[in-house]
Amino acid sequence: MKITRVAAIAAAIAVAVTWGCNNNSNTGSTGDRKAALAQSLAVDVSGLKCSDGQPLIAMDNSPLDPPARPDDPKALPETDALRWYDMEYAGWKCEKANLPQSPADGAKGKSVWCLRHMDHPYTTAYVNGMKQVADAYGMKLKVMTAGNADVSIQSRQVDQAINARPDLVILLPVDAVAVTPMLRKLNQAGVPVIASNLLPVDAAMRYALTWSGPDDWGQFRMLAREFAKRMNYEGGYCIVRHMAGSSCFFSRTFSVVTELKKIAPKMKCLDMQTTMLNSDKTAPVVAGWLAKYGKELKGIVSADDSGAQIGINDACAKAGREDIIRVAAGNSKIGMDFIKAGTLHAITYQNAEADGALPMKLAADWFNGKTDFKNVYYLPKHVITAKDVDDYLPAPW
Amino acid sequence: MHRWIGQLLRRIMSMPPGCRVWMLCAGIFLVMALKAPNFLTPGNFANILKGAGTALPAAIGFGIVLLTAQLDLSVGSAMTMGGILVMGLAPQLGWAGALAVALAAGVLLGTVNGVLVAKAKINSFIVTLGAMLIVYNAMTIYSGGGTIPADQFGLSDWLQRPIVGAAYAPRPGDAGWATAWLTLWLTPRNLIVLAMLVLSAGVLRLTPLGRGFYLLGGNAQTAWYSGLRVDGYTIGAFVASAGLAAFGGALVAMSEASGSLEVGANYLMTIVAAVIIGGTSMEGGRGSVIGTAVALVALTALTNGLDCLGAGYEVTLMSSGLVLALVILYDAYWLHLKQKKKGQRKDLLAELDTRSTG
Repeated sequence: MKITRVAAIAAAIAVAVTWGCNNNSNTGSTGDRKAALAQSLAVDVSGLKCSDGQPLIAMDNSPLDPPARPDDPKALPETDALRWYDMEYAGWKCEKANLPQSPADGAKGKSVWCLRHMDHPYTTAYVNGMKQVADAYGMKLKVMTAGNADVSIQSRQVDQAINARPDLVILLPVDAVAVTPMLRKLNQAGVPVIASNLLPVDAAMRYALTWSGPDDWGQFRMLAREFAKRMNYEGGYCIVRHMAGSSCFFSRTFSVVTELKKIAPKMKCLDMQTTMLNSDKTAPVVAGWLAKYGKELKGIVSADDSGAQIGINDACAKAGREDIIRVAAGNSKIGMDFIKAGTLHAITYQNAEADGALPMKLAADWFNGKTDFKNVYYLPKHVITAKDVDDYLPAPW
Repeated sequence: MHRWIGQLLRRIMSMPPGCRVWMLCAGIFLVMALKAPNFLTPGNFANILKGAGTALPAAIGFGIVLLTAQLDLSVGSAMTMGGILVMGLAPQLGWAGALAVALAAGVLLGTVNGVLVAKAKINSFIVTLGAMLIVYNAMTIYSGGGTIPADQFGLSDWLQRPIVGAAYAPRPGDAGWATAWLTLWLTPRNLIVLAMLVLSAGVLRLTPLGRGFYLLGGNAQTAWYSGLRVDGYTIGAFVASAGLAAFGGALVAMSEASGSLEVGANYLMTIVAAVIIGGTSMEGGRGSVIGTAVALVALTALTNGLDCLGAGYEVTLMSSGLVLALVILYDAYWLHLKQKKKGQRKDLLAELDTRSTG
C-alpha cells in the first residue's frame, strides 16, 4: 500500500515536471511560420482607443538629439540641468549589447511576461492597455508584481523568467539603478526584454531591445513652465517627491528645479521630501511646510496627483491656504476631479493604458521581424488644465 | 478512507512543532509541483534556494535573539546597512575592506542594542524599533535616497554562477537536464549561506556556548544561578543578530551588484514568520536554525509557486499570512494537548478506558 502511494506521488511529480516545463511557442515548419508572420503583420491596432477616447497606440516622434555630455555630470550642482544628463538622456545614444535575434515568425501565440513594479491603479490600467494589444495579436500575457516596488522580489521574478523562458519580457523597473543587473541577466540568458514606464539608468538600457514610457523629464519641464506662469514667475515652492530610488524620484524633482532656475530665477525651492505617494504621510509633511514657511510658500509641485495630492489638498484646506498653486503628475481620476474642483491647477497627461499598450505593440513588432528600434519611445506630452480636462475624461484609472 | 484521513490528521496534530515545518515544506512542494507550471525544474529549484538564502543569515540571528526571549526588530535595517555600506565603500576600500566595515558596523549596532537591553534594562522591542528607524534613515542619507550600483560585475557573476556545470538550466530532455538538479543551485552565494547555517546549528546544538542561549531563554534566573553570564549572553545574541544580518545584506548586494534601501527593510516580516514557523518559541528557550531554514524554503517555495501560477501579490501575501496563522493555531493546539496530558498516567487511563467500554 505504501509503495503504491509513493509510486503515485512520484508519477504525479514526473507528470508535473514534463507538463509544466516548456511554455515556449516557437515551433512549426517554415511554411507555418511564414503564414503566422503574414497573419500577424495584417493585424491593425491603430484604431484601438483608451477608455478616455484618446488613441491607444501613440508615441512622440521627435528625434532623439541630446546635447553634448559634460565630462563629469555629477560634479555639476543639482540646479544645473546637465547634472542629470545620464538620467534625462538615459539610453538615447547607448550601444546595445548582445541583443537576441527576432524570430520573425509573427506575434500570435507568443508568451510575454510583464514584470511590473507594483500594484497600483495606474499599473492596473497599464495592464489593461497591454491586454488590448495582446488580444489583438493573439499573444499570451502573464503579469507578475514585485510586491510594493520591492527590488528583491523583482530580482527573484527575473530569475523565474529566466527559468521559464517566455518569448519576451516587458519589465517595469522597480529601481532605475538596481534594474541594471536584472536586465543584464535576462540579456545573458538570451531572453529579449523591453523596459517600460520608469526609465533605467544608461548602463541598463544597453541590455534592453528598447524602452517605452512617458517622457517624465520633458513633461515636467512643460509642467514647470505652466507652474511658473501661474506663480507669476516668483515665490517659494516645495516639492513632494516620488518614491526614493525610482527614476521619477529624480525626474519629477530636478526637471522642475532646473527649468525654473532657467525661466523664473525669482522662484525659490524651499524644501523637497518623499512621502512614498501616500496621503497619510503627505498631509503632515505639507502641514509642516505651511507652518514653517507661511506666506513665503506659494506653490507645491507633486510627483503624484492621487495619493500624495489628497494629502496636499487636505493640508492646504486645513491651513486655510487654498491660494497655494498646485501642479502634479497625472492623470488619475482623483487628479482630474481636483482640476475640475479648482484645487489642482495643472497635471501632466500620462495615459496609463497607452503606456502599457506601447511596449506590447513594440513586442509584436519585434516578433514580426522589426529590428531597427529607436532606443527610446516616448508617449506624447501634454499638460491638462481646467480648460481641456473634459477631453481626457473618463480617466483610465 | 475517512478513517485513514482521520488517523493521519490525528498523527499530524500530535507531532511536536519541530516536525511540522518539514511537513509544511513537503506539502507546499508537492502541491506546487502538481499545480504550478515551471515550478519543479532545476532552474526554479535553484531560484527557491537562492530566495530562501537571501534572508537566512538575518533569520538565524533573529532566531538566536528570540531563543533568549528577546526581540530584534532592527535585523532588516542591519541587512540594508550591510548592503549599502559594502557597495558604497567598495570603490575606496575594495570588496574585502568594505565587507569588513559592513560587518563591523553590524557588530557595533548589535553591541549598542545588546548593552541597552542587558545593562540599561530597556525593553528590546523599544530599543530595536528605535535602532531600525535610525539605521534605515542613516542609510537613506548616506545613499542619497538611491541605489548604489557596483562598478563591475565580476564578483556578482562569481557569486551567482554554479561552481560546476552550466549557468542556466537546459530544456527538459536536453543533455545535462538531470545533472542540472545537482549543480545549478551550487553557487558560491548559496554555499556561503549553507556554511553559515551548518556552523550556527552546530554551535547552538553542540557547544556549551550555544546551549547557554537556550538556558537563558528557558529561564533567565535559573541560568544566572547556574553561573551563566546572562548579560554577556544577551549582548552576544544581539551582536550575532546584527552581525549576521549585515553580512547577509552585504552578500545579497555583492551578488546582485547593487545596494538598495529596499533590500532588508522589507524582509522583517518574512524573517519573523520563518523563525516562528520554524519552531522557535516566542517565549524563548526552544527552537532550531535548521527549522528556520526549512521554513524559509517553504515560504519561498509558496510565493514562487504562486508566482508560477500567476496569482497576484495580494494572494501571495494572504497565503503567507494564512500559513503563519495555521502554524500558530497548530502551536496553540499542541500546547493545549501537552497541558492536558501533563501528569496523566497512560496505563491507568487505558485501564479506565477498557472498564468504561467493557
